[in-house]
Amino acid sequence: MVNARESLFRRLSAACGGRGAPPGEGHPGEAPVPPEADRIALFAKTFAAADGVLLHGPVEEALSDLGEMLRMEGVTALFFPEDDAAAREIAEALVPFGPFSLTTGAEVRGGSTAVTAGFRTAEAAIAETGTVVETSAGGRTLLPGLIADVHVSIVPAASVVARMEEALAAVAADPPRNLSFLSGPSRTGDIEQTLTVGAHGPRKAIALLLTSPCTGSGTTSR
Amino acid sequence: MELHANAFGRNARKALLDKTLQGALGRTTGRFQAHRDAAVAAFPGFEAARERASRIKVDVLDHLDTYLARFIEEAEKRGAIVHVARDAAQAREIAARIARDEGVTLAVKSKSMASEEVSLNEALQEAGVTVVESDLGEYIIQLAGETPSHIIAPAVHKTREEISLLFERHLGEPRTDSIPELVGMARRHLRAKFLSAGMGVSGGNFLVADTGSVVLVTNEGNGRMGTILPRVHLAVVGIEKVIPRMADLPTFLRILPRSASGQAISSYVSIVTGTRRAGDREGPDRMHILLLDCGRSAILEGKYREILKCVRCAACLNACPVYQSVGGHAYGWVYSGPIGAVLTPLLVGLPEAATLPDASTLCGACADVCPVKIPLPDFLLELRSDARDQGLKPPGEIAAMKGYAGVMKRAGLLEAMERIGGVLGQLFTKGKGIGGLPYPFSGWTERRDFPAPAALPFRKHWKINRGARD
Repeated sequence: MVNARESLFRRLSAACGGRGAPPGEGHPGEAPVPPEADRIALFAKTFAAADGVLLHGPVEEALSDLGEMLRMEGVTALFFPEDDAAAREIAEALVPFGPFSLTTGAEVRGGSTAVTAGFRTAEAAIAETGTVVETSAGGRTLLPGLIADVHVSIVPAASVVARMEEALAAVAADPPRNLSFLSGPSRTGDIEQTLTVGAHGPRKAIALLLTSPCTGSGTTSR
Repeated sequence: MELHANAFGRNARKALLDKTLQGALGRTTGRFQAHRDAAVAAFPGFEAARERASRIKVDVLDHLDTYLARFIEEAEKRGAIVHVARDAAQAREIAARIARDEGVTLAVKSKSMASEEVSLNEALQEAGVTVVESDLGEYIIQLAGETPSHIIAPAVHKTREEISLLFERHLGEPRTDSIPELVGMARRHLRAKFLSAGMGVSGGNFLVADTGSVVLVTNEGNGRMGTILPRVHLAVVGIEKVIPRMADLPTFLRILPRSASGQAISSYVSIVTGTRRAGDREGPDRMHILLLDCGRSAILEGKYREILKCVRCAACLNACPVYQSVGGHAYGWVYSGPIGAVLTPLLVGLPEAATLPDASTLCGACADVCPVKIPLPDFLLELRSDARDQGLKPPGEIAAMKGYAGVMKRAGLLEAMERIGGVLGQLFTKGKGIGGLPYPFSGWTERRDFPAPAALPFRKHWKINRGARD
């Protein structure tokens, strides 16, 4: 093992020989930074471009739209992590909008046959790419966006950053085990190059944008 | 994967006669190209990102020893077990040992070209592991018992009818001509595998030296499932995939999906670092990273080192008129298109794949689209002269090229040849073109339609018409 490694490094050192600029130097030609003020509007645009559905505006209205959307998708179970307060509140508030049951997970992981919507608060969102960022930091679960049929991300407006760099800077020193960029639904073009959603992950990606940390309505504030 | 690169001519002819394949290629390569072009046009920063990506990769190659050592150190610090394999045999041995030691009987695999290089599936199967490909395209061709024909669309040559037949035969599913239904069937069958597999096998698009992270770029979500759900994760990655730091990743994420599928970003980017931490709800207890040399350090030493900048986007395949005509199987190994025509001879040895650098018109379309600026046409040309120097070209071809060079260097002789050629050509071919010449020219004509020499040579035509315009 160690011998294989040592011999690899002997070969590499002989082959690359430290030509050119020394390692550790920055690389010029950085991409331009979009203006911060526009990041919410840009996120709305890019998330839609990634075939995601963004809901914002008054929470009551958004909830009614969301409930309708979930019924259309045939969703019967709403799945949220036990420790995600915002996800729990949104899921609970949706119950009157359809025949939905609530679940916190074990049976979903076991391969439940119910059509499931997974709710989770995003750690960040990226305006440049229409991306929702989820990580395992602090013991958080990734299952809602991984195994559910529909993924509902709760995105606090303050968590929307302009570019990928900002989202990664937060974890660059010591990344959590899992860090995922989610941009729109799971998709495949592997059969006749026909774009089809729901390959392995969610067939629909919804983001609920909360413009203040406390929504001001009885249903979703805490 | 078995190597048949030197059968390119025969394979190409077979591909050209395959109506299903021709239909699929016609449908797909053009669409890939159009999507790529539109995505690049819609992103004003593309050229800057491309330049930056190229520079980062050059820096990495110049200091691969430093960056790779850093990557290994950081990955091990976070619980990963790093293995290095000098060649395919070693890689197979290590993978089989990992599977045995971990007590794995079922593994789900997401797409990894590097693992194809070393025939990893066979090694795992010999170690008693059932390996299920989870990328839909790979799953389809695994059921069919075939090999991938395109880097990012492995089942590009399969129609929905063929796929439905496969699903009926192997999965007991009813026949359908609905693509969403077919995708749903695969989803159900593969979901069960993800939930019960002991090991997830992945490739890696990037290795981040600073953090020891493996980065996966996918659309289906299988890469995420395979690296989050099973208790063991094995990543099989070429040593050249290192990038210095997390801050370099956005640059590559700006060029790769745009070049590959024309998306601003892929549905999923997974950055996985080490094993699950204390208190984590998911993630593997054990993470193995198998780094493959398999010829790469030798390439690094020579004049073709820039080929190691490749990010496997497949833009060069879709842009290549040869690939568009013959598809991926004709190249006879893991990599196809212009990147395959260069990389395969370098990885397996030129004598084993000497015909591949000829599988190009040198039109330069590949270099135009390459997001890390690899000079593919230069390399193709250079490999052709290497093949000649190593005695891998037939004497007839060498003689003909020498004769051609001799004529081209003498203007008077060229003019005389043109005149004679024009008269004889028109006389013998009646303007229909040349085919089926006897040896030693048969090698040329059996794979090419060659037009008859024009009655009026180009240079004369130019003189007259330009003169008329001036």
